[in-house]
Amino acid sequence: MRVTDKMGFNQVIGNLQKNRGDMADLQNQAAIQKRVTKPSDDPVGATRVLGYRTEERASDQFIKNTAIARNFLDFTDVSLNEVSEVLMRMKELAVGQANDAGASSDTRRTVAEEVGQTYQQMLQIANRKLGDRYIFGGMQTTQQPFDHEGNYSGDDGDIKLHVNKDAFLAMNLPGVKVFLGQGVGNDGFIRETEEVPRNTEQLEKFQMDENQRAHQNQENQQHQVRVRGPANDSHRGEQAFKSEIKADTSGVNILDTVKKFEIALRVNDKTEIQEAIDDFDRAISQVINARAQVGARIQVLNHSENSLRQNIVDNKTTASQVEDVDLFQVASDMNKADSALKASLETSGKIITPSLLDFLK
Amino acid sequence: MGKIHSMMDIGKRTMQNSQTALQTVAHNIANKTTEGYSRQRVDQVTAPPVSEGRLQLGMGARAAQVSRINNPFLDKQLQNETGIMGYHEAQAETMGRVEQVFNEQMNKGLNQYMTDFYNSFRELSNNPESNTTRVMVREAASALANDFHRVDSQLEKVQKGIDMDVTQHVDEINKMSREIASLNEKIASVEIQGNPANDSRDRRDVLLKHLHEKVDIRVAEGDSGMLTVSTAGNALLVSGLDSMELKTQLHPETKRTEIYYSPAGLAKPFDITDRIKGGKLGGSLEIRDKLVPDLREQVDHLAETFANEVNAAHLRGYDRSGRQGNAFFEFSEGEFGSASNIKLADSVANDVTRIAAAAKPGAPGDNTVANVISMLQFKENMDGSTMDNFYTAQVGRVGVAANRAVKSKEAQASILEQVNTLRESTSGVSLDEEATKMIEFQKAFDASARLIRTADEMFDTVLSLKHM
Repeated sequence: MRVTDKMGFNQVIGNLQKNRGDMADLQNQAAIQKRVTKPSDDPVGATRVLGYRTEERASDQFIKNTAIARNFLDFTDVSLNEVSEVLMRMKELAVGQANDAGASSDTRRTVAEEVGQTYQQMLQIANRKLGDRYIFGGMQTTQQPFDHEGNYSGDDGDIKLHVNKDAFLAMNLPGVKVFLGQGVGNDGFIRETEEVPRNTEQLEKFQMDENQRAHQNQENQQHQVRVRGPANDSHRGEQAFKSEIKADTSGVNILDTVKKFEIALRVNDKTEIQEAIDDFDRAISQVINARAQVGARIQVLNHSENSLRQNIVDNKTTASQVEDVDLFQVASDMNKADSALKASLETSGKIITPSLLDFLK
Repeated sequence: MGKIHSMMDIGKRTMQNSQTALQTVAHNIANKTTEGYSRQRVDQVTAPPVSEGRLQLGMGARAAQVSRINNPFLDKQLQNETGIMGYHEAQAETMGRVEQVFNEQMNKGLNQYMTDFYNSFRELSNNPESNTTRVMVREAASALANDFHRVDSQLEKVQKGIDMDVTQHVDEINKMSREIASLNEKIASVEIQGNPANDSRDRRDVLLKHLHEKVDIRVAEGDSGMLTVSTAGNALLVSGLDSMELKTQLHPETKRTEIYYSPAGLAKPFDITDRIKGGKLGGSLEIRDKLVPDLREQVDHLAETFANEVNAAHLRGYDRSGRQGNAFFEFSEGEFGSASNIKLADSVANDVTRIAAAAKPGAPGDNTVANVISMLQFKENMDGSTMDNFYTAQVGRVGVAANRAVKSKEAQASILEQVNTLRESTSGVSLDEEATKMIEFQKAFDASARLIRTADEMFDTVLSLKHM
């Protein structure tokens, strides 16, 4: 083949440029520690990295949500613990005052004072706030759920937080369930489904169901049968006791029970006091059930948080495998590129310099 | 005596021939670095001999013509490969720009803004009573809307950039067409006398190469050596001595710079833009008119779906004060796509309490609607894939296209280099060779000078015979 000067020059320029380009690429990789700096470097890898990142950010958020839910539940648990301790004390008192052996109308009056105090304490717990939010108000978190008569102005909404990709968890127990015992038994106050609406269609249905339920609850309330209450206590007035729902209910209105107990003590109604022992038993188990529910939810949160954290680590690792530079590889490639460049430079000198003209005198 | 005369004559002509050859050597050396230059040589033939009885006496040599050493097939191939190179170069360069719009490896992009948006609704869901979380939602939502605008306007900028390129390319094409037409004239006038117009032909080949680089052309050579050059099907650029101009103009509907051809005798110029397939023009037009509009459409589709999904949930919700939710995102009416004019509804932008997180009125802790919006991230509403995946797929598509463009460019570069090397091997100037020829012709020149001196001495000898 006939070799001309331009061929030599073109070849030298081309090779040197390629060597220098390789060096620049490797240097860039070493400097920014990334192998993939734009989608075209590795289209499949880059899209996978995007997916990993999205998932990671969502997981980060779910962990935040989990912390908030757990905080709320922990606080609820502490409060319920206090409630159950108070109820134990009430039961003790009831047992003590149930017969005439160790009690009299005098002792009952004294105990009634304590029970009155306890009622206030109970209300205080039921109106507890975490931050700016009442924890037992259902979704009515900004107004005090119980007035001093024990009237509930909250609702039975579960505040559900998004704690994992497709999992929601209620972080609250509405006071109407815990303290008034509604919706815990088979009393028609239960939702058809506990599922969170996940899209607009489900939202629409959810809103319709809720409306219907609200309506039904109202009817339920209206058709309640009044049961025997304790004899009237002059300084409390007629509305002092709420009627219970007698439609095969297992729920206990704890506040009412305490109040009834107090009245029974004041009016020295032994039968009612004896009945109170049973009510307190049921109340205690109602609170324990609620605490068990809280505990179970915290457990779920712990599990899902663990898996979220694991997930984040996994995502980071895989993303790093795709997009991060292998420094050893870069260093060794760089050495290779460096020696190639030196060799090109050296041989270029030999190709370019001599021509026949250099040897003619 | 006659013999001595012809000796002198041959010597003289040989000296002339050597000078001609040396001048050609000088021309070769001078054009060693000229683009597209083919080395030239003097075709030397023996002069017609003289008959003398039985003898045929040679009468030396004469320079028949100066020809260039080239391989028309290689030149043609070089032009074609340069055209393909132009196409891939334009694609790689333009795809690099498109790719940057979707590059989230280093900076924040649409994908992240979408996640931020969902996360802001999750924060809202954690604490719907608080105004702080509502402000977060507002900020995340307007940042997302802004990023939709950014993507759309950057894509449009890519198109505008190509518009400018198109105008410039067309200017250069017109300039080259004119020069080819004038070279046609020169070549025809030189070659009609039987001499090859070497330098003009070289120059014309270079122009053809550059023309190929800009746009796909077809070339035919006529009898007189004149070329006919046409592009985009049958739009004549050069025909003999005439050259026709291409024009660029903003299309009233597409708002893009289109290329028009107005043949002589036809009053109305017609649009040839979509018939241009090759060269830099073809490469960048394909991206401007096919890929980018499609990407913009997909992003519009995404923005619209996104806004509609959020609005559908938001409209069913109730805000902090128990009012029914308004639309969350709005589109201003206009001819442009949704991505360019999606914006946060004014009611929400001005008053964050208007963000509807609740499913029923008057429940400040109700976060049901915020949860529904949070779940949108996992809703498969784009032909069976989520909005995130839909967007990621677009990024992947751009990545693959950019990757392919760069790879093709590199592959074509090595093909081109090979063809170039072949051409240089045939037509390039070698200094060694020229130096050798220089010595060779100098020696011939020396020798013929010596011949003349010998003849001169012979004359002297003959003239001094009488005095002997």
